[in-house]
Amino acid sequence: MKKILLPFLIYLAFISESSLMQALLPQENSMEWQFIPRFSMVMILFIAMYLNTTYGLVYGLAFGLLTDLLYTDIIGVYLFSMAATAYITSVFSRYLFGNLIVTLLLSIVGVSILEFFVYGLNSLIGISNQMIDLFLYKRLLPTLILNGFFAILIYYPYDKQLNLLKDTLKEN
Amino acid sequence: MPHFFSNKRLIILLVSIIILVALIGFSMKKRESLTLPEQFLKDSAGLTQTIFYKPANTIAGFFENLAEMKQLYKENQMLKARLDEYAKLYVQYEEVKKTNETLKAQLDKEEDLTDFKVREATVIGRSPDQWNQFIYINKGEKDGIKPKMAVISPQGFIGKVTNVSLFQSTVQLISDNDRTNRFSAIVQGERNIFGTIEGYDPKRQALLFKKIPVDAKIKKGQKVITSGLGDVFPPNLLIGEVVDIEPDEVGLTQTAYLKPSADLYDLDHVMVLEREMPAVDESLKEKEEE
Repeated sequence: MKKILLPFLIYLAFISESSLMQALLPQENSMEWQFIPRFSMVMILFIAMYLNTTYGLVYGLAFGLLTDLLYTDIIGVYLFSMAATAYITSVFSRYLFGNLIVTLLLSIVGVSILEFFVYGLNSLIGISNQMIDLFLYKRLLPTLILNGFFAILIYYPYDKQLNLLKDTLKEN
Repeated sequence: MPHFFSNKRLIILLVSIIILVALIGFSMKKRESLTLPEQFLKDSAGLTQTIFYKPANTIAGFFENLAEMKQLYKENQMLKARLDEYAKLYVQYEEVKKTNETLKAQLDKEEDLTDFKVREATVIGRSPDQWNQFIYINKGEKDGIKPKMAVISPQGFIGKVTNVSLFQSTVQLISDNDRTNRFSAIVQGERNIFGTIEGYDPKRQALLFKKIPVDAKIKKGQKVITSGLGDVFPPNLLIGEVVDIEPDEVGLTQTAYLKPSADLYDLDHVMVLEREMPAVDESLKEKEEE
């Protein structure tokens, strides 16, 4: 895969979050579960695990800023949270053997770290007023299921491409 | 993990936290207009969103149709019954309209506070994290949309325009919990009862309608509309229905819980309203400033 294609792919995932939220996931389910798509974050987490920390950080910062500017009113929350999540996940991945299960587990852990960061910061500013128990049951759990499913879906093609990219990076 | 918190990293962490706080502080201020790079980003994202939105909406529409097919028969019967009612109401409406027009002509009154200009727009996206309740529409400054305009769906009032870039704009829904997202409303009844809508209670899934006088008697099922007193929104836009009333913590005012009349999760086409006659004369305002 060409290196230039990577940001483009993540951008597509990023835009699809908003379309998915608008068209496919209205809050019509009887359980009132909040499925939050974090597809761009999952893709960045893969990069942080496969390539290196710097790549993860840069992508986290870039798409964090984009999320802040486009989807929220306040600049800084996602910028910080996404970069920090990419960094933490990348550090974790150095100590764990990289296979399917570990990668999926780490991306789920990463998404929950992001959710906690954003929840914490937003409660601090006063944007979110959800109780912690509601947050855990109605928001975190469904979000992890949705994003775990997305990670499984993209794993095989993405894994292959990222490994190829890693090889070309090593050669240079 | 030996190198997790070395000195250098600790300093970087501290510096980034300082930057974070500064950025949040900067953006918490209510800004009237966006900076140029922000506008550019929003426009280009809006373009891709428009491309994405169409196929996504088709798929969603297909599933929705399947679900609706089951209820078609029942709905059809109900609609037939309502049709007779409609004919009766229409005759009444025509009559009232005519009287209103003649009365207005007698008074030489052409403009009305309730007049507004309507612009149609399509929803192209929604903020994916549920903390912020924003939708994005495909009309912007080019089409004459300005911040603070009221946005309605066919069922009722849904929110206001907050940011405008050239080709798209952001709409803040009434369920957003921002502390500046407040506006005055009236309970319709024999006597108008005033209060303010102040955010959304996620636990009860209802809008909070606060600052109602303690002696005001409100019944469940009463309709709540915008008051139009804030010089921002047109009056008489339906917001919702009262589902519950409670006294405030201190007992000085009452809080009502409203079920929004518009479905805030299923929005496709919305209308942006521009008020034609300002409640306060612009020339008067300028004089005051002098």
